[in-house]
Amino acid sequence: MSLSGVDAEKRACAFLKERGFQIVARNWRSRFGEIDIVAREGEVLVFVEVKARETDGFGGPESAVDAAKQRRIVSTAAQFMQEQACDLAARFDVVAFSGGVPRLHRDAFRAG
Amino acid sequence: MFARLTSGTVVGIEARLIEVQCDVAGGLPTFQIVGLPEKEVSESRERIRSAIRNSGFSFPAGRITANLAPADVRKGGVGFDLPIALGILIGSEQLPAASATHLYVGELALNGDVRSVAGILPLSLAAADRTLDAVVVPAGNVAEASLDERVTAYPVASLAEAAGFLRGDDGFAPHRSDAARLLERERGAIRHDLGDIRGQTEAKRALEVAAAGAHNLLLVGPPGAGKSLLARCLPELLPPLSFAEALEVTRIYSIAGLIESGRSLVTERPFRAPHQTISYAGMVGGGHGIPGPGEISLAHHGVLFLDELPEFDRRVLETLRQPLEDRSILLSRSGVSVRYPAAFALVAAMNPCPCGFLGDPIQPCSCSIRDVHRYRRRLSGPLLDRIDLFVEVPRLPVEDLFANRKETASFDVRARVEVARRVQWERMSEADGRFSNAELDADGVRSFCRLDEEATTLLRRAVARFGLSARGHVRVLRVARTIADLTQADRIEAAHVAEALRYRAQLHAVSG
Repeated sequence: MSLSGVDAEKRACAFLKERGFQIVARNWRSRFGEIDIVAREGEVLVFVEVKARETDGFGGPESAVDAAKQRRIVSTAAQFMQEQACDLAARFDVVAFSGGVPRLHRDAFRAG
Repeated sequence: MFARLTSGTVVGIEARLIEVQCDVAGGLPTFQIVGLPEKEVSESRERIRSAIRNSGFSFPAGRITANLAPADVRKGGVGFDLPIALGILIGSEQLPAASATHLYVGELALNGDVRSVAGILPLSLAAADRTLDAVVVPAGNVAEASLDERVTAYPVASLAEAAGFLRGDDGFAPHRSDAARLLERERGAIRHDLGDIRGQTEAKRALEVAAAGAHNLLLVGPPGAGKSLLARCLPELLPPLSFAEALEVTRIYSIAGLIESGRSLVTERPFRAPHQTISYAGMVGGGHGIPGPGEISLAHHGVLFLDELPEFDRRVLETLRQPLEDRSILLSRSGVSVRYPAAFALVAAMNPCPCGFLGDPIQPCSCSIRDVHRYRRRLSGPLLDRIDLFVEVPRLPVEDLFANRKETASFDVRARVEVARRVQWERMSEADGRFSNAELDADGVRSFCRLDEEATTLLRRAVARFGLSARGHVRVLRVARTIADLTQADRIEAAHVAEALRYRAQLHAVSG
């Protein structure tokens, strides 16, 4: 079973809310790319990448989001922080669907 | 939030205290280590992150910077893992602040275990010199860390345990050093006894003279005659290590990472026998980053044995000249310059010719004259100049091999050596820090090596007959002085000179 991208993001938002995240923005765009979900967990700003497609068991979420994609997300996140004049600590998470079940991977990759 | 802890790094034989500063701030998640870290320190980031996560803590989001101050000291080693990890936990308010008078050092495994590191002894001594209250070290290093009685050392086996110590949990007791008792128990043990070697009376006597006067020695003989066995006995013919000497040796072994886990003090005089293919850096010290100690420093207060002397790279042998004089070695690299002690006794061994059987009564030698000459020419002249005793170790005659005679035991030889050393010590204590006959300079020889009449006549005849050079003459006097000291004779007698001349006679056999 495979979800469409939009469905997956909706379900990921609901899933994050259940876990106490506050959704700050969705599909936030910069000239570098797009961030699926920006959320807050306590005092930490979380940039969430949603992976709808099954990754047929190979590698973790770090490999599901390849290096080029990570760079685009990091650049976009940097711009977000700058525009919002945000000085919170930030983190990159991945919500990956496996057999239709979402899983949260905290701190899936880092800015450098 | 900002956190600081005290740690340290080893630069040569000394340790420098280093302040580890950690800042956990807002921003994109990054983790940097700054302050002149060597590669292995920068690589610690992955270990630290995994160790924190696997110890029941969370690795904080945001921008993490670890700074090692002062920034102008090059920092190698993996001992910063533990203090940086603790700094991150303090900076993210998962732990309370640490005392600046505690030194933390240790390598982290991915699962949060604290692993042993090299160089603990110099670090704990530096901590004691700066009057820190305590050192927190890997459990495998704690015996070594607490060698100096001024040091209070706490062992930790994991990051979680170190965090518990920092929180002030109960159940942490400093390690009590048993080093003094250990040395008392182990010092003077004889594991390689001259008494177990049959025959070779002359070579054994030469070892005794070498031990008594700190003379360098060359053994020449066919393969299998027992040259290596004889050399192996020399460290235990020397007086046992004093505590201060043992500490010096341990410091070098600590830096080289050669202290076994759970062991503390090196209690025996070192015996180092590097292979003929050893490189320059292996012999005198070197390596990437801050140069480490070489074989000559690992042989400090002990014996350096060079078997098959002509097979060594000539340039490597030439580098021994200066440490043989200075009893230390200065290694200079870009940005760092370190001095390691290297006061060792040199024992070299060689065959008389390439096949090894020249002069052997049974096995014929298969070498041509040219082969023999070429073989001997490979020896470094300046190195031979620093050898006082040349001794032939012939094939053992059948009757000696099966004789049921009681051989001289190392224990008795050492007793005589200790007496001779004491005589030298008392005679020379006023003169500029020289303590053995081998170190006597021209003035020393003039004032201390007085011959009686008969001895003078003998030496004069020898000089004329064998064409003894001025330098050779001085060497004979030094050795004769040692032989006289072994019998506590005040004046050098003819018998002493005769024996000293014998050790010189073998020189022609090697300087082809």
